[in-house]
Amino acid sequence: MSAHETQDVLAKPSPFSFKSIVNNAGIGLALLVLILFFSVTTEFFLSPNNITNILTQITINLILAVGMTFVILIGGIDLSVGSVMAFAAVIAGKAITLSGLGTAELILLAIAAGLFAGLICGVLNGVLSAYWALPSFIITLGMLNIARGAALQVSGAQTIYSFPYAFEEFGSMLIFGVPVVFLLALFLVLIAWFVLNRTVFGRLIYGIGNNEEAVRLAGHPVFWYKVAAFTICGATAGIAAIVYMARLSISSPIAGIGFELNAIAAVIIGGTSLAGGRGSVIGTLLGAFIIGVLANGLILIGLSDFMRQMITGVVIIIAVILDHYRAKLSSR
Amino acid sequence: MKLMNFAAAAVTGILLSTTAVMAQDKPVVGLVMKSLANEFFQNMMVGAEEHVKARGDYELIAVGMQNETDFEAQINAVDNFITRGVDAIVIAPADSRAMVRPVKRAIAAGIKVVNFDVALDADAKAQQGLELAFVGPDNRGGAKMAGDALAQALGEGAKVVIIEGNPGADNATERRLGFEDTVAEYKLDLLDSRTAHWETEEANQVFSTMLTAHPDIQGVMAANDSMAVGVVKALESAGRTDILVVGFDNIPAVGPMIADGRMLATVDQFGTRMAADSIDLALGIVAGGPDLEGWVKTEIQLVTAK
Amino acid sequence: MAHALHSPQDADLLLDVSGLRKSFGGVHALSGVSFSLKAGEVHALVGENGAGKSTLIKVLTGVHKYDAGVITLAGQPFVPSDPQFAKAAGIQVVHQEFNLLTDLSVAENISIEAFPRGRFGLLDRVEMKRRARHALDAIGLSDVDVDMPVSRLGIAHRQLIEIARALQTESRILILDEPTATLTERETSRLFDIVADIKAKGVTVVFVSHHLNEVFAICDRVTVFRNGATIATEEISETSPEGVVRHMVGRTLLEQVKEPNTGIGDDVVLAVEDLRTVANTHAGGISFELRRGEILGIAGLVGAGRTEVLRAIFGADPIQSGQIYRAGKPIAICNPADAIAAGIGFVTEDRKDEGLILDMPIATNTSLVSIKEVSSKGLMNLSKERDMAKAGGARLKLKCGSVADPASSLSGGNQQKVVLAKWLASNPEILLLDEPTRGVDVGAKAEIYAILKDLAAQGMSMIVVSSELPELITLTDRMLVMSEHSVQGSLLPENYHQEAILKLAYGQSDTPKGPTS
Repeated sequence: MSAHETQDVLAKPSPFSFKSIVNNAGIGLALLVLILFFSVTTEFFLSPNNITNILTQITINLILAVGMTFVILIGGIDLSVGSVMAFAAVIAGKAITLSGLGTAELILLAIAAGLFAGLICGVLNGVLSAYWALPSFIITLGMLNIARGAALQVSGAQTIYSFPYAFEEFGSMLIFGVPVVFLLALFLVLIAWFVLNRTVFGRLIYGIGNNEEAVRLAGHPVFWYKVAAFTICGATAGIAAIVYMARLSISSPIAGIGFELNAIAAVIIGGTSLAGGRGSVIGTLLGAFIIGVLANGLILIGLSDFMRQMITGVVIIIAVILDHYRAKLSSR
Repeated sequence: MKLMNFAAAAVTGILLSTTAVMAQDKPVVGLVMKSLANEFFQNMMVGAEEHVKARGDYELIAVGMQNETDFEAQINAVDNFITRGVDAIVIAPADSRAMVRPVKRAIAAGIKVVNFDVALDADAKAQQGLELAFVGPDNRGGAKMAGDALAQALGEGAKVVIIEGNPGADNATERRLGFEDTVAEYKLDLLDSRTAHWETEEANQVFSTMLTAHPDIQGVMAANDSMAVGVVKALESAGRTDILVVGFDNIPAVGPMIADGRMLATVDQFGTRMAADSIDLALGIVAGGPDLEGWVKTEIQLVTAK
Repeated sequence: MAHALHSPQDADLLLDVSGLRKSFGGVHALSGVSFSLKAGEVHALVGENGAGKSTLIKVLTGVHKYDAGVITLAGQPFVPSDPQFAKAAGIQVVHQEFNLLTDLSVAENISIEAFPRGRFGLLDRVEMKRRARHALDAIGLSDVDVDMPVSRLGIAHRQLIEIARALQTESRILILDEPTATLTERETSRLFDIVADIKAKGVTVVFVSHHLNEVFAICDRVTVFRNGATIATEEISETSPEGVVRHMVGRTLLEQVKEPNTGIGDDVVLAVEDLRTVANTHAGGISFELRRGEILGIAGLVGAGRTEVLRAIFGADPIQSGQIYRAGKPIAICNPADAIAAGIGFVTEDRKDEGLILDMPIATNTSLVSIKEVSSKGLMNLSKERDMAKAGGARLKLKCGSVADPASSLSGGNQQKVVLAKWLASNPEILLLDEPTRGVDVGAKAEIYAILKDLAAQGMSMIVVSSELPELITLTDRMLVMSEHSVQGSLLPENYHQEAILKLAYGQSDTPKGPTS
């Protein structure tokens, strides 16, 4: 064996392993082509302001997609994140508009409340689907309705507004033209990358997506790992809710309709397999960029709303077809 | 049987809200609302419920829908009202064509019908041989009021964009037409017109991008206030204070924005009162008053800082 | 065209097969099968799993094409090119796994191959029901409602409906592939009545079974398969179950020199008392003891409940009742983690679905059980993991390019070594192995045997389940033979006669139970 062992590569599909580079390179290349195309066709595309815009615009989708990556890696899906985000936003909105507390306390309370609301929804999704081995598609479809209903019920269908100034400020703060909220999303990507590639937990998330039974028979508590994946997804919906509030200075119970589909699209375009076990959060970052650049660029070149929607659909289908070939390639 | 209807309505996903006891001597009014997830209709519903308490001489059964496009629920609601023989139906149609047939069935069953908020489609009414008055705000006229305020502030030839509501929704179309009337009258330069599906976050994104493509925008006409809020936030992020924004609906969240000048104007169509006013009209007919004719316009008012 | 190959005296010969050969890749599934059917007889096919019975059936029914040989049907050359052709020629088969659509009605299932069509090509329901009624009545199933969905029928009725479907068209030969495997005694006797009835109508029945008592109850002749060849065809009246078993085993493999394992300790590392697995519907449980350094084999036919016992001990499936003792102390094993904590490892039967994460690197697979060894505070130590994989690979002579390659890039034998390496990395005291060399080539097999014996010599205890008797004979120090979820006997190496083992495996329980160690 030592005679054959010439390479000394990391024993893990990290973003630096050969296959992973090929996969992500494809997505990166597609993104580059898009950027080139738009920078040639419209003069505004590469302007600093527009880059700031794009970064702001992909932030919420990116945060949701990071959590979604965990769920899709274990072979699940979470359709509830848009509704859970609205629910968390309403809970946090109620908290931040309480009277009798100082600004700092209110903001901290709101962040804690929003995170907790998202987390609870995620735990429920995970426990219900993992305990009875039910398709997460159905369980989270149920949660989609529960969370939306709860958001409307708690808010009385009213938009919540007038937040502390400091909180709103955070939503539009820039560092060298880069929105702070985007840096937050990027930070989440890095944490997720580290967790997925450097921890036992991440290793077993990939393992469960590939062969759940093998992981179970190796003595690992698969149930709790699955619950954890959904919990992470719920928590990112809570974080997205806070960012939503900070950016728009309102909490709307009808926010986030259809956001789950954009998040799933970002993950899939990023090369994570819907069957689970294969993909990376770096791909998700690129996928979110592709969706954001498309949405932004197509408006800039003056394409109609309806054409824009069609093109986004086409890109999703192309991504899934490419994934099909990647799967064939890697399984030989 | 009444209970059965209730159950059926609940099963089809309709939100029910009703007075508990039915006194047979009082006239019964069935109120068919649009999506109660929408703040505007939620407030209208609250207005109607307060109204029934205040008047006390009729029974109210109110039905709403889960989302804007759930036409089925409205049709079922009307059919249920026919079955239980209410005296009057007051309806805000989710679709101006789909509701013509059920409304005709109700009238044939001897029920007095008042159509408010969105007018049933004139062609569809003619085709079905239905004559029915409409009680409601002039969405087009209202949008033009807001648009005119913007145009007067900016002057002729100013560069503006429109943020539209859901493509295909009747009030979205009316409001867009109203804004376009302003554009024509004041010879404004309409740079772009796009939908943000009534949604704050989407309006924020769409408008930021529009602003990149057209940094010389002077004014924005948003088809509702939720979207206007998104536009205002985009302007704040871009650090632009020179662009004027008008909206529609006068939701509470825009109050502070109008007061401090971040928004120029919005239009109040007194939604809270609209259902209650329509119920008054319906009860008038039930009591033997004359039928309504044509378009009974409800009050609309431009809201500005002054 | 008359064939000169026939013996003239067999005037009533319906089917004649001679010199039939069939290979899949390099494996000879059939290496010279000769076999004949007389019109109107019930003919049994017996032999171990993989002896060639199923392949012969698949050739006769047109599923597989044969490589060489001659088949004649009623005196005419017969080359079944596809299943439709075989059916048209009157050869019908009822498989072990039913081909029924459970949500459709009995009538629809019976007519599924050729729905009766009325005007405009619409389904003629009346005719469909009439045909179904007729087909059911023909085999005496007048108590079944043709409108009932199949899902509401029991296993036995489903099988009979398959038979009715097979017989509704002109059938000359009806092949029943292990028809009694899932039936109760009463259902089996009803089936036998129907078989007798079919036979009386002139249909030839081929009966595949693992149960010799059934063969002797209803068959006229029996053909024995071994290693892809037909060994003998005998009249039932002229043979005995012992004679048939002798044919199945052959005499060549019998005595093998075996060095006694001297390293077996006196201490019992694992004991099982009255263990009933969930799959066990019978009353009795099983009990046995495993000593340090001992390799205990479990023989038996597929479905005897061997795998279930291993899975129960490992906590992979819940148990119905019973107690497990580890080193004399009772322990509760609720999940694999409990078993691993108790020093038990489990090399599963199915590498692809249970053993390996094929698309992930070799190193990931070898560290899967002992991931705590190559991590600290939840963080992976990738170089430690790599070293573990390399060490495990070197110990088992694993041939691989890099431990970062996916496990799917390896051959079957090397994949199995990765599974072994995974479990050895956790230093278990007891290793459960289910079909440890399935899909492994001969060279790797010998290597794996050597490794296992070496581990036993170092004091590791093992339980090996295998369907290959030579493997158990080579490897084990003691052997339990299971049939229908109970232990039929326990044999020591001096009693390792295939004949005795097979007899126990086939549930010929008139034989006294073997000596208990």
